[in-house]
Amino acid sequence: MNTYLRQVWVIVWKDLVLEMRSRERIASMGAFAVLAGVLFNFSIDTTSTRPQDVAAGLIWMTLIFGGLLGVGRTFHLEAQDGALQGVLMSPTPKDALFLAKTAANFVLLYVVSLLVLGVFGLFFGLDLGPNLGWVVLVLGVGALGFVALVTLFAAVSTGTNMGETLLPVLVFPLLVPMVIYGVGTTTRLINGRPFDEVEGNVRMLGAFALAAVAAGAVLFRYVVED
Amino acid sequence: MTDGVSPGADTLGVKDVARGSADNGREIVLEANGLRREYGPVVAVDGVDLTMVEGEFLTVFGPNGAGKSSLLGMLGGGMRPTAGTVRVRGQALSFSEHDWQHRIGMLSHRGFLYGRLTVEENLRFYGTLFGLQDLEERLPARLARVGLAERARFEVRQLSHGMRQRLSLARALLHDPDVVLLDEPYTGLDPSAAGVLRSVLGELRDGRRTVVMVTHNLREGLAMATRLAVQVSGRFAWEGPNDGLGREDFERHYHDVVEGRV
Amino acid sequence: MSTAGMRRGGTALTLLGLLGLITLYWMAFFWVPTEVNQGVVQRIFYIHVPAAWTSFLAIGFAALASGMYLWLRDERLDRAALCAIEGGLVFATLVLTTGPLWGKIAWGTYWTWEPRLTLTLLLWFIFIGYFMVRNATEDPEKGKRFAAVVAIVGAIDIPFIHLSVVWFRSLHPEPVVARPDGPTLPGDMLLTLLFGVLVFTVLFFGLFLFRYAVEGLRAEADLRARSAA
Repeated sequence: MNTYLRQVWVIVWKDLVLEMRSRERIASMGAFAVLAGVLFNFSIDTTSTRPQDVAAGLIWMTLIFGGLLGVGRTFHLEAQDGALQGVLMSPTPKDALFLAKTAANFVLLYVVSLLVLGVFGLFFGLDLGPNLGWVVLVLGVGALGFVALVTLFAAVSTGTNMGETLLPVLVFPLLVPMVIYGVGTTTRLINGRPFDEVEGNVRMLGAFALAAVAAGAVLFRYVVED
Repeated sequence: MTDGVSPGADTLGVKDVARGSADNGREIVLEANGLRREYGPVVAVDGVDLTMVEGEFLTVFGPNGAGKSSLLGMLGGGMRPTAGTVRVRGQALSFSEHDWQHRIGMLSHRGFLYGRLTVEENLRFYGTLFGLQDLEERLPARLARVGLAERARFEVRQLSHGMRQRLSLARALLHDPDVVLLDEPYTGLDPSAAGVLRSVLGELRDGRRTVVMVTHNLREGLAMATRLAVQVSGRFAWEGPNDGLGREDFERHYHDVVEGRV
Repeated sequence: MSTAGMRRGGTALTLLGLLGLITLYWMAFFWVPTEVNQGVVQRIFYIHVPAAWTSFLAIGFAALASGMYLWLRDERLDRAALCAIEGGLVFATLVLTTGPLWGKIAWGTYWTWEPRLTLTLLLWFIFIGYFMVRNATEDPEKGKRFAAVVAIVGAIDIPFIHLSVVWFRSLHPEPVVARPDGPTLPGDMLLTLLFGVLVFTVLFFGLFLFRYAVEGLRAEADLRARSAA
């Protein structure tokens, strides 16, 4: 393994170990997801709306709000004892740091995504059948783009005196493609349509994720320099 | 680690200062030219020049808001100067390369530690970021040096402040930097931790490292230094060797400088 | 170019743009024939579309300037990005005002998720984010860097947003009789539209130069105040 990969890996390892020991973010995101599912259940009249038509939208919105809650804090945890400064003063390239933070946040959010899918499937009585695997894939691709954008802008908003309140203002407009393609794809898959029908959209979602990761990797250094 | 001395590489517009041999033939390690840092209309550091050779220990005193931390930030490469350059062993600190960080270690009153990682894990984390290959031998030795060998498997949040500060010291020096930067390292230390810090700093000086410390603490600042400076409003208002002036005398002198009587 | 030169250039371009705007109004109101399906209201199209074009020009231009600012750290590049974003905000606001007016008459509702309108709304929020970030840091230099990142990511995201809102619209067709950008535009209408795009572009750069000169003067005044202090 070369130095770059080892640096990426050790940061991912560090973030995941910290999360496993404190369970701060996973607990708040998980609780948020389940409770949102409960509230959504009461906010929808299932006699006039078919759950499988709205479930995808609710799943994605829960992911976005829950994700903002957890991923948005990624640099706060780092800042507690100035540790981010220590990392920035090490010979770690800034893009390696960004990719590592994104990867660790991705693992976290993906776990929550699957939890959300399970909970909503249960609450709304969804039967995904053979499309389950595809939905799991689509959630992963969407989560990657989301996490890359939010990691970049979490670094921005942490550096301002508005803090996390700024984060939604910055990322919501940018997340529109993810919501549209993600929800569109998931709705069709939940309704039992074949994957071929949504393949184009999944590709768009993938292109969006790649663009977000690439832009973040390039621009992150300008955000964290002092 | 490469010996990346690349004169002139990214130092456009700055005159090449003769380097390689300074006083007593000792090599110039740290060099700052016309360092300036602005925060909008506020000028934190206003044109500081500094040349330091091996084995020198500079203590920078100064009142709050004199720009001491900004100076240290720029010397450490973490903060981009508004104008001026910093070089370590002739290599300019650039923002696109990651070589020179190997030569710089920073100890601040904040520990740069993760409370939920163990003592050993913290060092292993930083050691890996610095690409150190011999962590297995290095870690126990370093932990023993700062008296934390028994605590290797403790989470950092379970340690006392003094122990944490000793661990930070081990972390800052883990990669054997040529230049050690200290930002108020004595803040909040208990006597035993201060003792360890003092003895390690003494070793650094005698081991011909280059140290820059900023502090309010006149006693500790004078104890180790070979050179002294007083920073006021972003500038070195006074600079001189530490020629054994007593603490009271220096304190008087310091107040004269700060209040503009010298 | 000197600040005085900027100002002269800005004045000339703005005057030219205003002259063009009068001509455009004349063309849009009197010269071009009325569109058969939508009637008189369609004439707002000749203002609406060029204004939309200009706000996209603005984000592209600002992203370019921002990228170069991050690279070269020349204050002038940051100023250019700021002025372009301000111009873009003005024109995007124009689109968001004329769009619903048109929509009310053409489609019977103030707001539709018509792709161009949706895209402009999101762009408007990106512009707002640019200003919020810029003003939310204690160190102005940091605010400039953050704002530059917002402009660049915004510009990269625009094509994705565009494709997605068009696709979204195709899923949820609105009950419209006529599409504003119809299959083919008769020659006179196309000419008026293209002229409108030209006029708004000139106007944008005129205002931009003006604004840029003002920012330049402000920077000079700051510098003078600081060296006097």
